[in-house]
This record gives sequence, C-alpha cells and structure tokens, in this order.
Amino acid sequence: MHTFEFARPATLAEAVALLDAHGPDARLLAGGTDLVIRLRDGTARPAVVIDVKRIAELRPAIRQADGRVTISAGTVMTDIAADDRVRRWFPALAEAAAVVGSVQIRNRATLAGNVCNASPAADTAPSLLVYGADVVAAGPGGTRRIAVDDFFVRSGVTTLARGELVTAIELPIPSRRQAAVHLRRTRRRGHDLASVTLCCAVDEAGVTRLAYGSVGPRPVLVVDESGVLADPAAPDDAKAAIFEQMFAGASPSPRSMRASPEYRLAMLRVLGRRALRIAIDRLATGE
Amino acid sequence: MSANGIGASPARVGGIGRVTGSQLYVADIRLQDVLHVKLVTLDCARARIVSIDTSAAEQVPGVRLVMTAAELPQPVPRFGPQFSDRPVLAVGETKYHGEPVAAVAAETKDAAEEAARLVWVEYEELPAIFSIAAALDPASPLVQDPAIRPNDPLAGTNVLREHRFGWGDVDAVAASADLVVENTYTFPMVTHFAIEPHGFMAAPDGDGIAVWSTIQHPNWLQKIIATILGLPLAKVRVFAPDPGGGFGGKQHAKLEPLVAFMALETGRPCRLILTLDETFQAVRRSSTEVRVRAGFRSDGRLVFRDIEANYLVGAYADIADRTVSKGGYASSGPYRVPAVRIVARSILSHTTPSTAFRGFGNPQPIWAVESNMDEAARALGIDPLEIRLRNLARRGEAFNPSDTPADGDWEQTVRRAAELIGWGSPLPPGRGRGIAVGMKSGPTTGLSYSTVRLLVDGSVIVYAGTSDMGQGARTVFAQIAAQELGAPIEWITVVMGDTAVVPYDQQTSASRSTVLMGNAVLAACRDVQAKLRAMAARLHGVDEAQVVVQRGVVRLPGRDLPILDILKPGLGRLGGELIGNGEMRKDAEPDHPLGGSAAFYEFNCTAVEAEVDEGTGDITLLRHVTVSDVGKALNPLQARGQDEGAAIQGLGHTLMEHYIYDEKGRIRNLGAIDYRIPTSMDLPLELHSEIVENGDGPGPYGSKGMSEGSLLCVAPAVAAAVRDATGVVIRDLPLTPERVWRALQERPTP
Amino acid sequence: MTAMIPIQVTVNGRARALVVATHHTLLDVLRDDLGLTGTKECCLVGECGACTVMLDGRVVDSCLVLAVEADRAQVTTVEGLAHDGHLSPLQQAFLDKGAAQCGFCIPGQLMAAHALLAENPHPTIPEILEGLAGNLCRCAGYQQISEAVLAAAEAADR
Repeated sequence: MHTFEFARPATLAEAVALLDAHGPDARLLAGGTDLVIRLRDGTARPAVVIDVKRIAELRPAIRQADGRVTISAGTVMTDIAADDRVRRWFPALAEAAAVVGSVQIRNRATLAGNVCNASPAADTAPSLLVYGADVVAAGPGGTRRIAVDDFFVRSGVTTLARGELVTAIELPIPSRRQAAVHLRRTRRRGHDLASVTLCCAVDEAGVTRLAYGSVGPRPVLVVDESGVLADPAAPDDAKAAIFEQMFAGASPSPRSMRASPEYRLAMLRVLGRRALRIAIDRLATGE
Repeated sequence: MSANGIGASPARVGGIGRVTGSQLYVADIRLQDVLHVKLVTLDCARARIVSIDTSAAEQVPGVRLVMTAAELPQPVPRFGPQFSDRPVLAVGETKYHGEPVAAVAAETKDAAEEAARLVWVEYEELPAIFSIAAALDPASPLVQDPAIRPNDPLAGTNVLREHRFGWGDVDAVAASADLVVENTYTFPMVTHFAIEPHGFMAAPDGDGIAVWSTIQHPNWLQKIIATILGLPLAKVRVFAPDPGGGFGGKQHAKLEPLVAFMALETGRPCRLILTLDETFQAVRRSSTEVRVRAGFRSDGRLVFRDIEANYLVGAYADIADRTVSKGGYASSGPYRVPAVRIVARSILSHTTPSTAFRGFGNPQPIWAVESNMDEAARALGIDPLEIRLRNLARRGEAFNPSDTPADGDWEQTVRRAAELIGWGSPLPPGRGRGIAVGMKSGPTTGLSYSTVRLLVDGSVIVYAGTSDMGQGARTVFAQIAAQELGAPIEWITVVMGDTAVVPYDQQTSASRSTVLMGNAVLAACRDVQAKLRAMAARLHGVDEAQVVVQRGVVRLPGRDLPILDILKPGLGRLGGELIGNGEMRKDAEPDHPLGGSAAFYEFNCTAVEAEVDEGTGDITLLRHVTVSDVGKALNPLQARGQDEGAAIQGLGHTLMEHYIYDEKGRIRNLGAIDYRIPTSMDLPLELHSEIVENGDGPGPYGSKGMSEGSLLCVAPAVAAAVRDATGVVIRDLPLTPERVWRALQERPTP
Repeated sequence: MTAMIPIQVTVNGRARALVVATHHTLLDVLRDDLGLTGTKECCLVGECGACTVMLDGRVVDSCLVLAVEADRAQVTTVEGLAHDGHLSPLQQAFLDKGAAQCGFCIPGQLMAAHALLAENPHPTIPEILEGLAGNLCRCAGYQQISEAVLAAAEAADR
C-alpha cells in the first residue's frame, strides 16, 4: 500500500472542510471494506484518508422521527439487519443488509459506504430505490437531500459534489400497507457478490415497485401503477408483458466474470416473477 | 483398546498449538536480521524479456538486492522433480502469467514492495498457448525449448509425454459390444487454495544453508537445493513446519532455490511469503479433455474401454506428467474389462505449472469414465448401481493384469453407500440420485525411515520425516508408539520437519504415510521391543525367546511386568535410553509401466441425492454419502475429517471452481473474490461419511492409506443425480448454476 | 515519507502504546509489531476470515482495518481466548471434536465462534454454519468445526 495522511475529524464541519480542501485527493473511510481493498491494490491512491467514525453527527444510530427512519452514515449492516423498525417497515432492506458479505464484513460495512461505493451490484441499492430513500449530504454549501434514484450515476460514481459527504440515509415510513422482498443470484450459497440483485414491493393500492442491480452500469427502479403485477388473479402473460417493459433497461456487461449477459437477463425475469409472488403473498398474509 | 491406542481418537498431537494460535507456520517464524523478498512479475501470459532496469528499485532505502537471471550462475540453474526445466528466475522469456522475472530483498516489506514496483521490465508480449487445441496445433509455438529433452521424438511438439497403457485387443473385441458410448468430458483448471499461502525462507548456516519451507517433501527439497548450490546434503538443512494445508500444491520446490541464492548473495536470511493471488499463479491441477469410448454388452458388462486423456499441464512439468501417467494408467477404473487401450498425454502450455493435487491425476479420468458408465446404464435401461456391481473387480482379482490385484471387498463399500443413500427407494418428483466409484493407486515406490527413542522414564520420542499438513500423521505415529511401548500419548513427542535431525523420508504424498512411515515407526518400536527383550532376558536370567513385549507389557514366563520395571533396572545407574530404528521400503519394479505396483488402492463409493432449481440452475445437494475402504482407521476422528474434507473439496471443482482466462492467456479471477471455493454454507444438507474396515491393508494393524478417496468421484455422482432429476447430461465441469441452466435450456422438449 | 501515528490499543486485555504507519493494517501490527502470530494472513480482501479478530466486541477481518482505526479500541485475538494457561471451553471442544486439521483457519474460526456464542448461546447447526460462513476452511472441516461449537454451547449450559 502507498502511504497517506490520516485525518480523524471530530465534527462534520471539520470533515467537510477537509474534503473540500483536498477534493479528489481525499477518500472517506467508514467501514473500510471497499476502501482498504482499493488502497491495497492501488486503485485508490489518496493523499489523505478521512476517517468518518469519530464525527459526532455520523455516529451509528437509527432514529425514527417525522414519518421517517434515519440511518446515520456510521451505522453498520449488522445493526441495520437487526433493527426492529427496519425489519418492520423496510424488511427487504434488512434482508439485503443481512447478505452483504460475511459477519465480519457486516460488522464494519456501512450502508452509507455501500451507497457511495456505487457498485451496480450493491445489494442494498434495490431496496433503497424501492423504498424511496433519500441520501442526506452535507457539504460546503450546506445540507441537501438527494433521492437515491438521483444519486447513482454508474460504477463508482455518484452525484455528490466536491466537499460533500453522506451523513445519513432516510427512509419514509410507508403510508400504505406494503410488502417487499429482496432476492439475488450468486455463484454459491456462501457469501458472494451478486450477479443479479433485485427488490420487489407491492402495496395495497396495487402499485408494484421493482428495482434491480448488477445488470447495467447502475441499479434501476421501475414502477408499475397499472395494478396488473400486484393482482394475484391477473394472467401470467399480462404480467410478463409488463416485466418485459420493466427489464428493457437492463444492459449487463459482456465482460463480467460472474455471469454472462444472457444468464443475467434470464435470471432477472426468474427473480422478478418469484419476488413478485413472494411480495404478493406477504402482503396477503400481512407478514 | 486404550484411549490412546489404535482405533481410538485421542486429541490431535499438535492440536493444542492449533487451537491456541501458538503453532508456528513458516510465516510465523521470526528470523533475526531477515530481509523481506517481493517478486516482480509481468501482467502477461507470455513475454520476451527485452531488458530489466533495476536502478530505480535499487535506490529505494532499505533495498539490499535486486536479483534477476543475470545475477544467477550462468547458465541459470534449472530444477524440477521430473525434468530440470524450471529456471530459478525467468530466462529471456516468461512462460506463464506470474512467472517471476526478478526479486527484491529489502529491510522492510514496504521497501521491498515499493522497489518491486520500480523494477522496470521492457518486454514484448508473445502469443500464448492455453488450450489443448492450441497446444496440439502444429502451427503453434513450442512452450519448451526442445533442447531440454534431446533424443525425445516429441521434443518438437508441445506433447511432453505420451503414455500408452492397456491390455487385450480393443479392436478385436469391439464388434462384440451391443452398445458403444463415446463422449468427451472436460475437467477445469483449479487451484489448491490452501489457506496458508506458500512461504520460503533461507539463511546462510555456517558453511551451508538453512531453508524453511511449507514443503511437503523436505528430503526432496534438500536434494534440489544441494544440487543447485553445489553443497553436500549434510550442509543443507531443511526445516519443514507443518503446512497450513498442502493438498499436493506444496510437494515440490518452487521458489526455495531463488530465496536460497538471495540469502547467499546478501549473507542474510531472506523471507518470501506468497500472497494468495501469487499461489494461484504458482500451482494448479491439470485440466483435461478425456474421450472415453466404451463398449458394453446388453447386460451391462464391459467389453472394452478406449480412453484418450489429454492433460493440459503448465509451462514447466513439475510433477504433472507423473499425475498423467498414474491417472491415465488407472483410468479404466476398478472394473473387469477384457480389453483396454489408454493414451494419456501431458501437453505443455503457457500456464501456471500444474502439479500434484489430491487425487493425483485420477479425478479427471474418473469424471469421464464414471459419467460414461452412467450414460451407458441409461441407454441400456440398467440401474447405475447394478451396472457397477456387475463389472466391479472382486477381491484378489487382477483387474489390471500388470498391477496389484483388487485389495479390498469393494462391493461391500458400494453396497453400503447405496444403502446409506436409500438407493432404489422412491423419490419425490424433481429429485435425483447419482452414484459413482473412484479408485486410486497408492504409492508405487517408497522409502521411510523412523527412529524411536524410549527414554529412561518411559516417555518416547518418535522421529518421522512425514509432513503433517492436517491429515494427522503426527497423531497416528504417536498412537503407534503408544500402542507398542505402552506410553500414554501425552508422553510421546513426535519430531518432524528437520532434515538435520529426522531420518530420511522419501515424501508425503499418495496417502502413503500411514502405511509407509507407519510401518517404519512400527518397525522402530519393534526394534526397541527387541532391545527390551534382551534386557529382560539378561535381568531375569531367561532365554530371549521366552520374552514377549506387547503393548507396553513385558511378558516373562510366569509374570507380566510393565516396561518401566525392565527399562529402569536395565539401563542401570548411568541411565540412558533405548534407540530403535525402522525402515519401510517399497522397491521399484523396473518392468512395471509405472515403475512399481500399487502398495494399496484407495477405493471410494459416493452417492448423492440432489434437487435442481430449473429456473436458476442451482443444485441443492440434499444428501451426500461417501464410503471409503480404509483397512483400519487408526484414528477414526481424523479419518472422518479427511473423508468429509475431501468430499467437500471435491464439491469445489464439481460446482464452482475454475480459472477464468482472458483472450491473451492471463488469469482474470486471481484471488478470493472471484475464485469460489465451498464455504460452510455450501455443505450438502446432509453429509455422511463411513469407512469399511476389513483389516486388509499393508499398513500397521491392517490399515491402508486414505484421504484422497472421497474426492475422486464426487463430480460424476453429482452429475448423475442432476441427470436423474432433470434428464440433462453435462460433460463439462464445473456444474455452475449458469451451466446447468444452459443445459436445461438446450434440453430437447419431450 | 510514511505517516506515523501513535495509537493506544488494548490487546487481549493489555494496554499497548504503539506508533503505526497509516497504511499498515491491524493485521500487520498484530503480527509484526506485537508478535501475535496466531492471527493469520491469507486473502487480504475480507473473504477468507483467517485474520478474524474481535474489535470492540465484534468480529472483523483485521486485514481490512487500518491499524490507526484501532486507536482506543479493545482487540481480542486467539491468544486471548485461553485464561491462565487453560483452554477456553470452545478451544477444548475444538480439540475434542477433531475440528482442527491443518489448523491455519482455526484461529479465525475460534474468534467467529466465540462471537457467535456470546450473541447466541444456544445456536443450531444451521446458525453455526451461517455464523462461521465468513471463515473459509480448505481442509473443509466444517462439519467437525460446527459440532465443536455446538458441543461448547452445550457444555456451557451444564
């Protein structure tokens, strides 16, 4: 590993100032499960590494207020997967957080870090999209909220501006009854990066929200408001037609080692159908 | 049977070190004043080295040496267990992705890494061969300089060796077959992925050299180093701490010669620990294309087998060609076949040198032959279990006319596996069962010496040059000494892994050590017992012939005495000890196609019940049963660990493991993220292992070697279950979900 | 110029004051600076778990933790499991059940099991297999390892 300066700001203001001063020469360190690998293989060569874990405002916390659940940037996957409120209102996010890597990884990896790393295969991304999450970012110009769908650009690239860092992820508590599930395809049952990762939610108004990742440069959210997908009695071919529209945006890379484009596109459909069925069942049973 | 003796499962000797973290593996050993070594490699499958500029690297503070081929004796020494083909450092050309071009020795790891990055190699990428088809194409470049094997008619080709085996006349009997099944089956390139990466250290040692290595064959390494450095053996001391997993990938010298030269050049200890990625570039199993054409009668009896096994080995032979000859030779399996013709080839390529890997060339043809057998069973409408039983060699049968006859009741093993899987009982729809057998020859030659010292207080030191890399050799030898000399196992120390102290052992491979070294230890104990008999005779005024020493008890006419009651008075006031020596030798048989017949066979039957998710191609192994014929399990707990471990390791190449190459022959999936091995979550829902113990082995107490058997036929058993469940036949490993899915897509609709 | 930072870290109950390079990991410091070689180095990408240690009560891959991040933290390694020279019940169970073959993955397995039992004193075998899923064993002694963890859990009940 190349050497670097190490900073441990104690406040958000300090962190923003450092980030703004160094720009692309600085990297933020939360859980380290992505960054340390890049530092070691040389794909990241910052002059400064800024550890966010001592910033008071970012300390691990999951709070509920004003119809929202707010997950601070320092919160790790283990705690997200175990949190009662997340499991109650955002069960697909809990499911996703529970399969990020191994126990050791989940004890360090933060949701904010996962989102900022912006891998198209990020397992938490589909459920964040489905649940309409917002990324809260603080920067030199102040604080702003960015809808997760407007946050991802492509692998490794987000819409954060210079000097900005994510302070929290906010999820609006659903006003309608809804049920969701997270599914994914891996090469083995043991922990793995996904070759398709997908979240599907249906609500009592018949709206189906579906998001998928690892089949293109960024995760994609699609919504069916026709009510056809969510209707257990609707015929399969009607649903298939809607799925085809939904998946038209998928463009898996032919260079991937994990799975061929053909398999990924096929699994998108298989997982989409299965996720829909599970979501409909969960909504019906009130799970 | 005491709690420590044979057939018991006392706690692993060396176990405490393993559970406390106090055991010192090579990477844990601290040498004073050590220099850290970092390799320089090219991101290229094959390249002509134009020039190497080390000046920037040498400027890095703390760098003591930057070594290239130019700094070595000229011509650059070459070594290898079969051919002296591997240069200490690449000479003029790198022949595989990761072949070291230079090496840096520095005061710190950081300095070595930084300097290694600054070694500037000007090179020209060359076309690389990394498939069998490319290697056999006469228009393709030669991987190896023909001068390395003069007088070899194959020297102008990429075929390193072509082995022909067989008996009977295939062409004469072929017409009498009612069914001929012919297909080609492929086995992927996979790597050992021992959790401990290879490690090498060397230090000047007086007028000689000391070498530390994760090596499985310390005496073999000693010979290589002595030859390369021009030193007498007695001046080369090899320390071989228990490796953290070997599986064959640590059998033969790799980078010890380089580190030795660096130590002598700098006058300091040098230490090189490979990264995991570097181990993938250092060792692998040969991949294969095996064409099997087999003829059967309508009742399922084999008429002939015609096998062509092409093994793609790496750029340097290592021991790969031996895996080809051993695997090819046995490829017709444990069956009675009137006529067999085998051609087995080792074919060079610009890839990681393949080497020994658990199974030693056998899993690949077994994948082909057992799958082919399954296809024949289906075509004939005969139960796959039944077809095997009809053809299986019986005990004592010379199924291979030039080799040891069947040395076990193999039918018993097969029937037990069938019983455990519930063969023949109804299955719910969507589920399938598969069964397969695997057989592997044990060592063909061998030589192990052991010394056993019975100390004045009855405690014992056993010297055995075997390498204990998890199979539990240390414990087994202690158990033998406990059994024979009556010492509790806590009073026995087993010394291994130091060529200056431990007598010669040929090697640790082929599951040989319980039989070969075990017998040597046993002989050494018997030597001690003979001395005790003489002592007892002298002390008690009886004839030696009237004294028996058995299990720690000295039996005189009329009384039994514990050993100590003879030993203490017998040694007298000066004290001392009794030293026993034992030797176990299996000599070469010059006329034998492999140089020697099999000391024993490992025989295994594996049966699997599986379900396939036809939407995704996922295979769920509901039940995996593995039964091995072991003669006698000296330590059942360890035997179980080996059998289950081998079975799960076999699931690796069956379901998920393979190197992925780019179009230029570079490995794309170096490292743990994209090379998948089985985790605890990938276990079959039920995995059950059993052993058959008929006391019919040549080892101590009727034991045979074991620990490779359970890996041999995992793949064909699983593939057969997949076929049983879905109707798809897949002839290429691994059976990843995507590949199974593809096969399902291509399945002809009924 | 390598940046060096002083840290205070408690390792196996003993307070240590160290000066560490910013780019060295906790794994590097444990093994090279403190001589605690029980924690092993293998994949360096957080996949194999050979480097597992407890950091402030949670198991982590120490190859992915910069040493500086361990400032003011409590670290427990395999060397910290035994007490006064006596094996912990978990270590004893690993011995009794033959869980260790080559032993290289075992320190990591022990740390993961230790954490699992602290969180879930009565795990089932599937829960054990999942709790230890971040620890690769190429000897593939998973069954005996999980039986050892179960035995340790049951011993603790008695």
